Amino acid sequence: MKNENINHNQEYKYGFTTDIENIKAPKGLSEKTIKFISKIKKEPKWMLDWRLKAFNRLKVSKEPDWQKPKFPKINYQDLYYYSAPKSMKDKPKSLDEVDPKLIETYNKLGIPLNEQKKLSGVAVDAVFDSVSVATTFKGELTKKGIIFCPISEAIQKHPDLVKKYLGSVIPISDHYFATLNSAVFTDGSFVYIPPNTRCPMELSTYFRINASETGQFERTLIIADKGSYVSYLEGCTAPMRDENQLHAANVELIALDDAEIKYSTVQNWYPGDKDGVGGIYNFVTKRGACRGKNSKISWTQVETGSAITWKYPSCILQGDNSVGEFYSIAITNNHQKADTGTKMIHLGKNTKSKIISKGISAGKADNTYRGLVDIGRKALNSRNYTQCDSLLMGNKCGAHTVPYIKNKNSSSTIEHEATTSKINEEQLFYCNQRGLNQEEAVSLIVNGFCKDVLQQLPMEFAVEAQKLVGISLEGSVG
Amino acid sequence: MLNFKINSNEIDNIGNFNAKEKEFRLKNLDSFNKNGFPNKKSEDWKFSDLREIVSKNFKKLDLKLVKTKVQKINFIKEFDHNYIIVTNGELTSSNFKFEEKNKIKVQSYSNNSFTNKQEENPLINLNHALSDKGYFLEIKENYKFKKVLVIYNLYTSNLNENILNCKNKIKIGKNSELHILEYAINHSKKNFFNNIYENVILEESAIYKNISIYNEKSFGYFHKYSSNKLDKKSSSTFFIFPSGLKFNKLDLEFDLNGENSECNLQAASYLNYDDHQEIKTRINHFAPNCKSFQKVKNVLNSESKGVYQGKIFVKDNAQKTDAYQLSKAILLNDSSEFNSKPELEIYADDVKCSHGSSSGNIEEDSIFYLMSRGLSRQESIKLLINGFLSEITDEIKSNSIKNFIVNKLEDQLHEHKKH
Repeated sequence: MKNENINHNQEYKYGFTTDIENIKAPKGLSEKTIKFISKIKKEPKWMLDWRLKAFNRLKVSKEPDWQKPKFPKINYQDLYYYSAPKSMKDKPKSLDEVDPKLIETYNKLGIPLNEQKKLSGVAVDAVFDSVSVATTFKGELTKKGIIFCPISEAIQKHPDLVKKYLGSVIPISDHYFATLNSAVFTDGSFVYIPPNTRCPMELSTYFRINASETGQFERTLIIADKGSYVSYLEGCTAPMRDENQLHAANVELIALDDAEIKYSTVQNWYPGDKDGVGGIYNFVTKRGACRGKNSKISWTQVETGSAITWKYPSCILQGDNSVGEFYSIAITNNHQKADTGTKMIHLGKNTKSKIISKGISAGKADNTYRGLVDIGRKALNSRNYTQCDSLLMGNKCGAHTVPYIKNKNSSSTIEHEATTSKINEEQLFYCNQRGLNQEEAVSLIVNGFCKDVLQQLPMEFAVEAQKLVGISLEGSVG
Repeated sequence: MLNFKINSNEIDNIGNFNAKEKEFRLKNLDSFNKNGFPNKKSEDWKFSDLREIVSKNFKKLDLKLVKTKVQKINFIKEFDHNYIIVTNGELTSSNFKFEEKNKIKVQSYSNNSFTNKQEENPLINLNHALSDKGYFLEIKENYKFKKVLVIYNLYTSNLNENILNCKNKIKIGKNSELHILEYAINHSKKNFFNNIYENVILEESAIYKNISIYNEKSFGYFHKYSSNKLDKKSSSTFFIFPSGLKFNKLDLEFDLNGENSECNLQAASYLNYDDHQEIKTRINHFAPNCKSFQKVKNVLNSESKGVYQGKIFVKDNAQKTDAYQLSKAILLNDSSEFNSKPELEIYADDVKCSHGSSSGNIEEDSIFYLMSRGLSRQESIKLLINGFLSEITDEIKSNSIKNFIVNKLEDQLHEHKKH
């Protein structure tokens, strides 16, 4: 990690706002708002009914409060539930028609939206606020029969697939924020990989919260049919802002027989300033179902942003011999609070899961790993291995581990280990002795601490993630 | 039974109390009546739904005092010891023939400190409201016990759907040392509920060792909350062999208030039939340079259920904390279940805290190895279980007590194997 990099990135790198006129839904949460969203998305009736069903459920459910970080009460009537860049009203046919200001924003973010960037091998479904702007590499994907499009488009063009799978992993009655998302989700990505197809490139999407006071409600649905493989990348950056913003996304993955889904996230939402003012509330529901035999779902996440993060990417291992993996790095600094982990629910025989979680806490931050491993009575010969390590920097921060471990049959094995410590003085001394300053040494050691997880990331992300690890801890030592 | 409510005049039946105590008892009774027995909706009872267990196994809960006749018991002959006999929770006799009597105070316990702290555990509320028996044991400063003190906990045969609420307190003065063996003897053939609240106070440099074991299968449903407060350089060691109860929840809390204090907790149990056992610990590191160590081993057979909820809390000023927690379980049967929640909550950075938890069956390789040496499968499994549990018993320093415990444990294993 070069020193310049750290210094250049002292302030939040992506804190800029693009001035684009927005179409907004009527303020507040009501049936009217939902009908407005549904209408503007040109949705069929069954979709609207589904949303309304979720909305009715929402009326009787309560916000969860068992998480460690508490948050100030959100006034749901004071939020806008839909905002789209105006220039998107008539969908652009090519990149030339896209608002140049948007392109500029993406360029600042370094998203390879231009065709020239085809060489980088990334197909991008960029979501600016709520509407997907442009999709590249479509031709190549279509040839293979792969569907990669905004979910609003999928609702119109592939209603059978959407009807069959939407809400099948995260039911609309799941919990408050998942239900809220089901009622008001605006857009997101839809991926379908046909049988025996290996997706030729890493699919990727960038979310960006832009318009002020707009909660963003993304919905992602990925289906890997029999014998297919897909790797999906999600990256987030959000502009600097004082007001707290709510982000409640739902991500559903479905892997059928012999299919594999790899889902990687680098999350860098605005964490609030040094005094804990502002920042994003990231209350995300991510869940994958290994429906088929020998299927595999792997979650990798690098969480560095957000004022409050509640996120538990989970795997439901239904198919025999299915595999679930979870690799996570959660870094909290200043006043950030993260409560993150996973659930591995073993239902099929010979199912395996692995959890590697690395939490780093600095400043006045609180970092919690919360996880569940549940091996059911019928999940014979199942196995789980969990490792949670926490690193503390300074005595104002906290690191917590709350694992729930349930074993209900004798042929299965669960192993869990966790440690909490600070950076080893001897290692620091050794690095200093070799000419690295304190900050470089810490960055090096922390990157080493996170290596098990960073290794799991695809190339494109690994580089960004390594930088992020250094930047996030900036100013926490010395 | 589901809506188990207790009338406030039950308090008057226990005795005459001054206004302050009455108020304290009434307040706690209200809390209990409001919540009833805890169910799995409550985080601390997630894995042990007591409401369900109680309503399934009890038709009624009798609050009336059980008449305790003085009964003969078989004293332990293996080693010399002092003793206290506690019958159905009530202190009935004591004998300190090996000690200096003026250094020891023992009496029936009556509560005289009423905190305003609102307890969240309904069973503590219940105890605060209705406790009517127990003992208070005090060891004066600078006195080391010469022989171990055995507390015979006797449960008589006339217990029948009774609920006992006992309060015990042990106070060990500066530089003093006490070793206790808690030994439960059960004559009851009927269900009963025992709800214990225990308070242990260790003054500076005090040493406390406690071993507890149940002699035979019992129809007891036990809940014990134990609060342990440790001052500077004091140390507390617990060995728990809690097998044989229908339901048992041990809720142990240790406050390491003084620097360089230490606590060590080890448990080994063999659960069978539909036994349900939970060990819940909370170790609060409130001061720097303290150590805590926990090791919990469970062997689960038939439809038994084992739970371990352990929490290590480290306050921001408790630097140089060394905390360790290990839970291991062997499941012998597909109907058995083991749940654990090893928790860390840490606010200080210069600490060494770790925990591990594992559960699974006995390794086939190990069984194969022993069988290849001529043992039967059954013998191999028994040998391996013995080895698994003896890791805990080996830590007991006194040889005579260790042998006593090992024999008792083997009886338990053997007893269970017969069925």
